[in-house]
Amino acid sequence: MIASTLLLALIDKICVIVVVAYLITRTSRFSEVLDGKLTPKNQTALVLIFGAFSVFGTVSGVEIFGVIANVRDLGPMIGGLVGGPLVGLGAGLIGGGYRYLLGGFTGLPCSIATILAGVFGGVVYILNRRKFVGVGGAVIFSVFVETFHMLLVLLISDPYSEAVMVVQETGIPMIASNSIGMLIFAFMISNLIKERKTALERDRYFRELEKKKLELNIAREIQQSFLPETVPSLKGFDLAAVNHPAEEVGGDFYDFIPISEDEMGLVIADVSGKSVPAALFMVLSRAMIRASAAGNSTASEVAKNANDLITADAKSGMFVTLFYAILDLEARTLRYVNAGHNPPLVLNGETGDLTLLKARGIAMGVVEKAEMEEREIELDEGDVVVFYTDGVTEAVDERFNQFGIERLVEITRKNSHLPAADLVEKITDEVLAFSKGAPQFDDITLMVLKGEKPG
Amino acid sequence: MKLDNKSSGDVKIVLLAGRLDAQSSEGLKGDIEGLIGDGCRKIVANFDRVEYISSSGLRVLLASLKQLRKIDGDLKLACLKPYVRETFEIAGFTQLFEIYDREDEAIAEFGKLG
Repeated sequence: MIASTLLLALIDKICVIVVVAYLITRTSRFSEVLDGKLTPKNQTALVLIFGAFSVFGTVSGVEIFGVIANVRDLGPMIGGLVGGPLVGLGAGLIGGGYRYLLGGFTGLPCSIATILAGVFGGVVYILNRRKFVGVGGAVIFSVFVETFHMLLVLLISDPYSEAVMVVQETGIPMIASNSIGMLIFAFMISNLIKERKTALERDRYFRELEKKKLELNIAREIQQSFLPETVPSLKGFDLAAVNHPAEEVGGDFYDFIPISEDEMGLVIADVSGKSVPAALFMVLSRAMIRASAAGNSTASEVAKNANDLITADAKSGMFVTLFYAILDLEARTLRYVNAGHNPPLVLNGETGDLTLLKARGIAMGVVEKAEMEEREIELDEGDVVVFYTDGVTEAVDERFNQFGIERLVEITRKNSHLPAADLVEKITDEVLAFSKGAPQFDDITLMVLKGEKPG
Repeated sequence: MKLDNKSSGDVKIVLLAGRLDAQSSEGLKGDIEGLIGDGCRKIVANFDRVEYISSSGLRVLLASLKQLRKIDGDLKLACLKPYVRETFEIAGFTQLFEIYDREDEAIAEFGKLG
């Protein structure tokens, strides 16, 4: 009978504590305090909340074995454990002050115990490097505090014999009810801390994702804004180009540089690296090659000069592979240098022979005073030149098979009758279809030059 | 994509494998920087099991080479598969790196320098 009364009383109390604990821990002030924002406002709010809870603990005391067991100390203890000594002290003063006003021969020790419960909670908070001590620590702490409470009653209360009786009757229920109350609170608090940590990590992850997206957009905008908007129309030649940037921009570019009335500089290049650094290096390289090409009809001089300028600025191993050619519209020749770039392919319109435009050279930005060999080919009607970056030949399918130069040659052969713009589109479509389902790792950049009827 | 590190005297051998693309190159960069940080000046990169190298991979190797040569060290390459070697050739990097058919040849070359 007695046991069931005690059990019922405890369950009754626990239900109230669960509800109160839930409401308190869900307030925004409480969350802010858990994040370490101990502003005066937040501290005051916690003092009032846990002070009121302490008063409630006194009022709602349950009569067990004829004495009142209460959870008055609970509020200040929790206040101290999550909000530091000031919050603990404040809540303790409210709860303890209220108890003192009620009087009785245990009034003084009980109110002092409540105040100290808050202060001790704050000390534990500080000792635990300003963090909540966790479920186990909080429960053990409350057992100690309630034991201390009982000792104070024994020490201070007068008469001593009655104090002994009170402690005998209420000691165990007080320790038990406060510890169970603490268990509930601490459990909710540590759950809340975990939740907030997860939410913070998620937020950080999303912020980083946003940042990366923004960077990629910036890189793409830089790259796109420095690509030619239109293709020049050339007497006796058909020219087209396209750049299909990868998700993570690779810094490819192409350029057309007018050199003289009859000469047009053609550039295709691939900057090592990705995203913003690659895009910026692309802008630098493009400017250097433009500056070097103006009015200069010797491809190798242009390349050597541009290389020296780029190398002076290239840090941390950045480099650019670049193919530069001067198309002479009158002589119908292509004078070219190859600075470490994938050799463009030339299909002879008459014989169908394939030539790769190789020449001794090295990627720009690697060594100063690099040798750049200049070569020359003639372009007749029907000849097709395909300039490309490694994003074309190194595009992979889901099994990491590469598109490869053979496929590029085959498609060019089959479609060599198409106008340059259509051929560019055809090759791009084939590359994208090949790598469908696999992520596009690199920019796809293509330029096609076709010899037409001399006019 | 680093498989293993081993030593032969004061020469460190970095055994690479798989695809040296933008992502795996970052790991390689960290590994080589770590070796240099530990005082290593002579590194051989064994490409025996590397199937592909992208321009990002070339960039990491170039940065390491520049860094090592600045402090009188070197990075030598060994056992390049034809396709990987071609990538080096196209970029003109065969003029820059010392490339050997066998790992022990690269190590021996370090020995000659003393």
